[in-house]
Amino acid sequence: MLGGRTFTRARRQIVCMIVALACCRAVSAAGAPSQAASDKRATRNVTDETGRRVAIPFSVRHVVTLAPNLTETIYALGLEDKLAGDTSFCDTPPAAKLKPHVGSPQTPSLEAIVALHPDLVLATTSINRAETVDALARLGIAVYTSDPHTVRGMLDSVAGMADLMGASEQGAALVAQLQARLDAVHARIAELPLVHVLFVVWEDPLITIGQNTFIADALRWAGAESAIVAQQNWPQVSIEEVVRLQPEYIVLTSDHSESDAASKPSELENLRTRPAWKALKAVEMGHVVVASDEIDRPSPGLIGAIEQLARELHPEAFALNADGRNLVGAARVQLEMVASACTKKECVSCAL
Amino acid sequence: MRPLTPRRILWTCAGLFGVLFVMVVISLRMGAYPISVRDIVDTLYKAAMGRREEVPVEFWQVVFGLRLPRIALGILVGASLSTAGAGFQALLRNPLADPYVLGVSSGAALGAIISLIVAPHVVGAIQIAAFIGAASTITGVYFLGRRGGQLDSPTLLLAGIVAASFLSAIIMFLLTMVTGSELRSIAFWLMGDLTAPPPTTNVLGWLGFLFFVFIVAAGAMYTTSSDLNLILTGEQEARHLGVNVNRVKFVVYIAASVLTGLAVSVSGAIGYVGLLVPHVMRMFFGTDYRLLIPTAAIGGAIAIVLADTLARTVVAPTELPVGAMTALAGAPVFIYLMRRRMR
Repeated sequence: MLGGRTFTRARRQIVCMIVALACCRAVSAAGAPSQAASDKRATRNVTDETGRRVAIPFSVRHVVTLAPNLTETIYALGLEDKLAGDTSFCDTPPAAKLKPHVGSPQTPSLEAIVALHPDLVLATTSINRAETVDALARLGIAVYTSDPHTVRGMLDSVAGMADLMGASEQGAALVAQLQARLDAVHARIAELPLVHVLFVVWEDPLITIGQNTFIADALRWAGAESAIVAQQNWPQVSIEEVVRLQPEYIVLTSDHSESDAASKPSELENLRTRPAWKALKAVEMGHVVVASDEIDRPSPGLIGAIEQLARELHPEAFALNADGRNLVGAARVQLEMVASACTKKECVSCAL
Repeated sequence: MRPLTPRRILWTCAGLFGVLFVMVVISLRMGAYPISVRDIVDTLYKAAMGRREEVPVEFWQVVFGLRLPRIALGILVGASLSTAGAGFQALLRNPLADPYVLGVSSGAALGAIISLIVAPHVVGAIQIAAFIGAASTITGVYFLGRRGGQLDSPTLLLAGIVAASFLSAIIMFLLTMVTGSELRSIAFWLMGDLTAPPPTTNVLGWLGFLFFVFIVAAGAMYTTSSDLNLILTGEQEARHLGVNVNRVKFVVYIAASVLTGLAVSVSGAIGYVGLLVPHVMRMFFGTDYRLLIPTAAIGGAIAIVLADTLARTVVAPTELPVGAMTALAGAPVFIYLMRRRMR
């Protein structure tokens, strides 16, 4: 009896030791970075836009994007065949919705990303979390993070990502074409003074943009500048401050680019019913512009949004080039419209 | 009620460990990446035998890179929060006491956020700052909650709630000073989040260190469990029976603060577990602290592993913050158990 029990105990101890040993070995092996994955194919070392060193395979075949603007960039480059998966926020172009999703940009499932066998994951500081990037890097997955703060920066970023995916020519061509469109806008409005605008990121609470965002830079390309000066990227401001600054235009963003034309009058009427907003001169005069939602994304589509915004904020500049004689007529019509909408004597536009 | 013997404590804990083990297996099996139990067992076996080359890279990444570290962290955080909650409830002789309600979580969060702003890239700074925040908040709340030299429960709870909202206000103020990407990290941290990777590449060493701290703090609290039972019947009575009440209070204080600081520093502010799990364990196993402390620890681990498994899978492939899940699932369970006991 006694001997039997001792034997059982000894056996139990041995089993425990084996299990403990096995666990130790398993977990200590887990600590080592997975070399097997990266050694399979030749890689090159690249520094991404946040300063991290990344080893990226020479031939990238499966890409996962973690933000809508990156997905859009891939499609603009014509590299959608390489796109293995994107986020559930990626809706432009519509074909992007059909790709496998890895979750939202801020809380993607790392497992879902692993399941797609990507040899490159594209992330951006404008929506993704640094924790996601770190965690993927720990798994031995190459993550390239873009960090665009300007329109030029976005173009460089597009060229850089095209290069990573072995599509330098497409990248260079796309960037050259976009740059040409930017230059065309610039040529028309370079001489004009910047329009002071309130860029509305969110209406309630009122959130606008800081100086260091790519949207602020996009506004400058469109011949405008944010009336609010803030160091934060997405500052919350009081409507009183807006009343004090009296921006010349209010820029809203549409939820869907196709409903631009329809939403503009309703947005204006909506603002005209709201207490503090209806007192704004810009609202009284109907100076409310609904920008395409592309303005929110640092992707090639941003250039189209800049063109549209420039057209709406500086109609005279675009009227001039289309037909020189129309300038005076267009300006007069606009002045009449302004005069009929505005009855205040101190209004600058009416005084002219 | 049967008398409490070491044997009964051991068997109860073994039973709970069994539940935890089943939970871990389920959690290992579930997730956005489809992997069968057979493949998991196979991966674990080959890893244990040191035959890593035979395991597909994806299995390795999912099991050892993602799920196991996260489960281990969940166990640690759940056990710490729940043990701290049990400690605070005895110490303050108030069933509503828990790290969240007493403002200790907010204090730890404030410490962590200050360290994120001042020294964002210093390894371990967040953990130390969170601990300092937790300890100073619980000290402050303790002194605010005294009336005539005695701890007064309503005053103490009010002090805790006031401290929590005051600290939250400071956090809100600090949040206006940070931009873009740090703000996102902090927002997730405030919701309670297990996805953040550890500060070092030595995952095993990191987890080992955290478990060591947990064992020391929970062990220290456990040594006072018989005295805590007496203190719960009344401080005067305990003194007459020869309990050094001040020493016991000091030990439980430090231990509960260390545990809270530990949990909050690695996972952010996960609510409800510290309040709920000790009560659920009391309903099942009685109020004796010699049994309550270990069962609360294991129960907390089960709760967090369960909550995190749900957080990973309900809206897959997107993930929910685990803090949202504990509150969502915890409150109804608690109300049900409470109502059932009252009948």
